[in-house]
This record gives sequence, C-alpha cells and structure tokens, in this order.
Amino acid sequence: MTAFLIRRIAGAFGVVAGVAVVVFIILHLTGDPAAAMMPLESTQAEIAAFRHAQGFDRPLWVQFASFAWNLLHGNFGLSLRHGEPALGLALERVPASAELAVTALVLAVVVAVPAGTVAAVKRNSALDVAARLLALVGQSTPVYWLGIMLILIFGVQLGWFPVSGTGGWQHLVLPAITLAMFTMARIMRLTRGSMLDVLQSDYLRTAVAKGVGSFRLIWHHALRNAWLPIVTAIGIELGTLLSQAIITETIFSWPGIGRLAYQAILDRDYPVVEAVVILGAVSFVVINLVVDLAYAALDPRIRYE
Amino acid sequence: MLERPSTPLAVRLLVAALCGGALAGSALPAQADSTVTISQGVDPVTMDPLKRTITPTQNASMNMFDTLLRHDREGKIVPWLATSWKHVAPTVWEFKLRKGVTFWNGDPLTSADVKFTVEKIKDPAEGSEQGPRVNTIARVETPDAYTVRYVTFKPTAIVPGYPWTTSIVDAKYWKEHGNEYQAEHPMGSGAYVFQSWRKDEELDLNANPKWWHGKPPIDHAIFKPIPEAASRVAALRTGETDLITNVPPQYEAQISGGRNTKIESARSDRVLFIAFNTTKPGPQQNKLLRRAFNYAVDVPALIRTVLGGHGYPASTPVPPNFTGFSAKIPFYHHDLAKAKQLLAKAGYPDGKGLELVLNAPVGRYNRDKELAEAIAGQLSETGAKVTTKIQEWTTYVNQTSQRALTPLYMLGWGDNSYDADNTLTSLFESNARISTYANPAYDTLVDAARYEVDSGKRQALYDKALAILHDDAPWIFLFQYDDLYGTSKRLQWRARADESLAVDEMSLSN
Repeated sequence: MTAFLIRRIAGAFGVVAGVAVVVFIILHLTGDPAAAMMPLESTQAEIAAFRHAQGFDRPLWVQFASFAWNLLHGNFGLSLRHGEPALGLALERVPASAELAVTALVLAVVVAVPAGTVAAVKRNSALDVAARLLALVGQSTPVYWLGIMLILIFGVQLGWFPVSGTGGWQHLVLPAITLAMFTMARIMRLTRGSMLDVLQSDYLRTAVAKGVGSFRLIWHHALRNAWLPIVTAIGIELGTLLSQAIITETIFSWPGIGRLAYQAILDRDYPVVEAVVILGAVSFVVINLVVDLAYAALDPRIRYE
Repeated sequence: MLERPSTPLAVRLLVAALCGGALAGSALPAQADSTVTISQGVDPVTMDPLKRTITPTQNASMNMFDTLLRHDREGKIVPWLATSWKHVAPTVWEFKLRKGVTFWNGDPLTSADVKFTVEKIKDPAEGSEQGPRVNTIARVETPDAYTVRYVTFKPTAIVPGYPWTTSIVDAKYWKEHGNEYQAEHPMGSGAYVFQSWRKDEELDLNANPKWWHGKPPIDHAIFKPIPEAASRVAALRTGETDLITNVPPQYEAQISGGRNTKIESARSDRVLFIAFNTTKPGPQQNKLLRRAFNYAVDVPALIRTVLGGHGYPASTPVPPNFTGFSAKIPFYHHDLAKAKQLLAKAGYPDGKGLELVLNAPVGRYNRDKELAEAIAGQLSETGAKVTTKIQEWTTYVNQTSQRALTPLYMLGWGDNSYDADNTLTSLFESNARISTYANPAYDTLVDAARYEVDSGKRQALYDKALAILHDDAPWIFLFQYDDLYGTSKRLQWRARADESLAVDEMSLSN
C-alpha cells in the first residue's frame, strides 16, 4: 500500500509539472497581454515600459525558468489585472466553487442512483422509459440554456429563488440544479446499466433461491456490486462539474474559480490562468487517487501492493 | 455568510427544488429602502484607484475618491476638490484646493496628496495604465498646502493630467501601508466610505456623513457584478438590483414593459468606425475608394436593424459635445450610385477585382460581429468582394498595436476628456501608436491646436483638421452608441455619456 501511494504521488508530481509546462507554452503562444491591458492611446514607449516592468521582454526560456523556479516556491506572481498574488486570488474562490460542485454532485447522486436502480429493476416499465427520457434530456440540454430557463421560470416568473450571487441556501438552488443536470443523467444511465448486469448474474439468482427479500436483494446485494463503475464515474464527474462550473458560475454570477478563470483568460492574465489551471490539475490528481483508494474499500478483492 | 455544504443541506435543497412553492416570498432578502444595488458586467479589479483605466473599476473608485475637477452632464468642467484653476504661464496650470476636505480617517487633503498621486501614476515602475493621462506633466509644484501647479513639458491649451478622472489618494496612509495594501484597503475622501469587498460578489459602501459636498441622499450602495446580460436583466426584473449596465437592445422591451423597471439611455461618447490601413499597400490607399465606401455604407439602416435604433450617425471622430467638434463637416449620406461611380473612377468599375477583408473583434463592442457582417454586406453591393475576419479581442488588439490589421478594421473609441485633442492625435497623427493614417498637413494642424490657447483660433484649426479627415476619409464614419441601462422605477438617475455611475447623483423614491 505504501509503495503504491509513493508511486502515485510521484506520478502526480509528474502530471502537475507536465500541465505547468503546457499551460505556460499555450499562454505565451496566444499573445502578449501588454496591448490588451494598456489603453489604446498609450505610446509605443509606454507599452514597452509595461512589458519591461512585467518581464515580458525577456527571452521565452528565461521567462519559463523564472516561472518554474517561482512555481517550486509556490509563487505564481502578481495578477496583471488585480495587482495581487495570483494564487491567493484563486484560493479565495475555491470554497464557493467547492460548495457549488459538491452540492451539485450530492444532488445528482441522490437523484440518479435510486432512479437508475428503479429503472433497472422495473426494466421496460413506464418508470424506466421516463427515467431514460429524463437522462436523454439531461445529457442533451446545454447548461447555458438550462440556467437561463431556470432563472426565467423560478426566478423571474415565480419569484421562488434569487437569480444571482450568493447568500442563503436559496441562492444555491438554481445553480446547483443547473450544474447537476448533466452529471445526474450520466450517473443515472450508468447505474441502470451496471444494475442490469448485476441483476442477471448467477449469485443473485442464488440469493433469490435462498429466499432473500427483494428490498434487501436489490439495495444490499445488487447495488453494492454495481457500485464500482458508479464510484469511478462520480470521481470523474466531480472533474466535469468543476469544468462546467465556468458557464454556471458566469450565468448565476457565482463568485467561484470558474468565473475567475474565464475573465483571466479573456485578459491574458497569465499568473492567474496558471494558478487556476495548476490548482485544477492538483485537484484532479487528488480526486483520482481518492477514487482508487475507495475501490479497495468497496471491493475486498482489490489490494494495492 | 455562506452556509457550508453538507448532506442535510443537499437534502434540504432537493426538498426545496421539489416543493419550492412553500418557499414563495421567502427567498428574496428584504432590502432597506436607502440602499441602491448596482450591477455592472464585471467586478472592479482592485480598490487601488491609480492603476487601471477600465470603466467598471473607475466607477467604483469615483464613489470613494474625489477628483480635482468634474464634468457636468453637458461635459462642462466644474469645480470639485479644486475651487479654481487657471493657466498662469504657458507651461504652468495652477489649481486652488478646497479647504477643510479630509480623508475618511481624518487626514486633511492637501497639495502634497495631489503631488503624491500624480507622481505615483507617472512612476514607470508602477506600471499604471493611467500613465498616458499624466505624461504631459513634467513635475508638480506645491507652493502651499492648498495650491498645486502642474508644470507641463510643452505649453498646452488643455487642462493637463485628466483632473476629472484622477483620484486623489492619501499620501500619508499610502506611505504607511505600502502599495499592495491599497488593492483591498482604500482610503478616500469621497461621497461613499468603503465597508467591505468580497471579490466577484459585493462591494459595500456607506454614505460619508462628513463629505465636504454634504451627505449624499442614498445611505448605502452595493456594487454587485453580474457577468451575463440575460442574468442581469433577470436580476433587475426580480428586484435584486436597481441598476444594470450594458443592456443589449433585444432586452429593451422586457425592461421598459416591466412593472417595476425602466430603460435609461445616454448618447455615449464612444464612436465606432471602420478604419482603412493607409500605411499598408493596397487599394485602400486610393482616396476615391475610401470615399466610395463611405457612400456605400448605410449607417441609419445599420442603427435601425442591428442596434434596434440605438445609435447616432457620426460625421466626425469627435462627438458633438466635445470642444473641437465642427458642425461644418457634412455626413456621408448613403448613395450607392455615387459609390459605384467613385469606384469606377478609382479604377474598379463594378468593383471588379476588388477583394478586401474587414477585420473586427467579437464581444468587445455592442453587436460588433453582427455590425461587421452587415457592413461587409453593404460594401459588397458595390460589386467589391468584402469578407469579414472576426477575432477575439486580445489577439485583435495586439495586431492593432502593430498596425497589422489591413485593409479594413473596426475599432471603437471612447474618451472622457470632452476635448478633441486626445482623439485626433491618438487615432490619426502619423506617429501615434495605433494610427494607420499619415498626413503631414493634418499633423501640423492638430499639433498647433494642442498648444493654441485662444479658443477661437483653436476651433478654426480643428475645423480645418476635421475637413481634411472628411475629404481624405481614412475611416468609414459610423456612429456613436446609445448606451442602454435598466433601472428600477424607484431609482432617480440620469445616465451619462461618459458611462460613469456616481451614486451621489442618484436618489430613491418609495
């Protein structure tokens, strides 16, 4: 187990380092932020002074070396736009994003797993058709459209929920539903598929023959064995939720890291984009590790040596 | 404060989502009547008023900091921190400061603060975007605590240093706390006192009871950014906000038809135009072609169809409310026959052999991409083949900086000096960074106007310079935008041409 962990953590450093190189190259390929940051009436000399002050006039490899060195010290530099440390700007938005993503994930799982299970058990019934239809709609509805529709119906017309920003739990409702929809549909389909496989297996037939009650049969014996692919999916979905959060956070004016990333990309605010992307890479790596460890807990046959 | 995520919360959410009806009326927080909530598209990026020039950030700082002068609604300069200002020598402008003004912490506001402010912006190491505004000032002199003198490099007819936008900061406070601290802890003398700022969420301000101008009518002001236009409109309709900026024309009916909402508009100082890059080889170097294209574009039709009627055709790059505008310059009225005739004279009968690219940004100006496509369509009616090349802003503006966009490119220009000088020099002088026009006779005229102190003579110089631009047609002259705002009916406020949002100019009725 320890050897496994060490291997994985070393691998994780490799992944993050790779991401850092790629994000640096891509950002610097997309152009110099000086012209976008300075007003149109600035002179060439003023633009040059800005580039010099920010170090953009140094050779690319020197800029990279300095970026890498600072990165090793946890220093992403000052945001070009805000004039504050980039990592701090990214970190202070993590709680809001995490709150939204975790709520959406919980919402998705709470709805999708029972719905997927019922659909599998009652295969081809009206319930199953309804669940499958819902999954289809959920996966094919653009987040942008869904968010605006929820705002118009539940915010503007019915006045049930606020439509922007944070505050009480009411503020979470519409963005969480918007963000959860796609994930909910995917987990529901997966649960249904996985349950169908399990329901046809020999050991379940044996269990039925031994007289295990149907409730216990489904929720204890079948679902437990169907869990493995679902847990993997949930892990991956958390990543999807974080990336889809860019749109959801923008529509609902949610002060999260997605919105910060969006604006930073538009502004070519290199330090902030780098901080957000690397923070994202770190969280992906951590989530994957946790999912792998969860396997061992869920399936006694899996042991990491 | 935010509630932390937890499973019970998720369960409650689910219940809430399923039976939200029971919650009706409880979801929206009650607001005190003397609070105004303002929603711009983006949050201020910093509380440091000396760094950036972008409007949403300046709109926040202008409520916390005072400036030496202000513009009234008509663009006339009026006293503010400075009670008087005059030209005391060809290169010296003198300001007399109002006595008894203090910062929120009680520090008196004196000439030393003004000097500190200008020097801070001028310092290249600060990398301030406001640098270009003070680059004509050689040094600042402070003969006494309430007299400030700006000494300029050259004689100038225009009050230097943008005293209507430059926020005066507390030098003592700044020196005590250093640069980085200012980004989140402002210390101003203005109408509203900083309370708290949660980035991308809320900036809270309270009326300053000791403000030298008297306590403003509204007790609290909240700046709450909402990036998405449709969401901004929704938030206005639900009463979550009182004022929204940048309303796309398609939402006008929703807002003006709303029970508690109304539309405010102002003729913006921002002009939109298509420039010909005359510094690069190509048919756009031919003046006849440039004039032909001006006749080919139907500006009123563009305003009607693409902007829902919200725009004003422009005859010159200088808006009518600016010093230096010339009413003598005619419009290019749409005349396709004349356009074709001029094209033939230019050597392109029926536009034969003419293939041109119209460059435009997307998402930078209201309906920019749509306008570019419509204009390309109108130009193609001459027989020329005009296609659009649309790019994202950062890429686009870099090419502007290198004068690389050619032969045609769209650009918008907003200036809050209420004077022709900055516009006419930055956009058309041969050596200006983004200028793609070169005409020594024109350069001489605008240079002379910059230093001409006699207003009659100065206007005559601008009349001549603008006549040259009309005749030479380095642009397709398009229009000034009409800025649309949505407000709640309880808010009394009139939108301004310079896009500023001074809360002390607002009041609420119940």
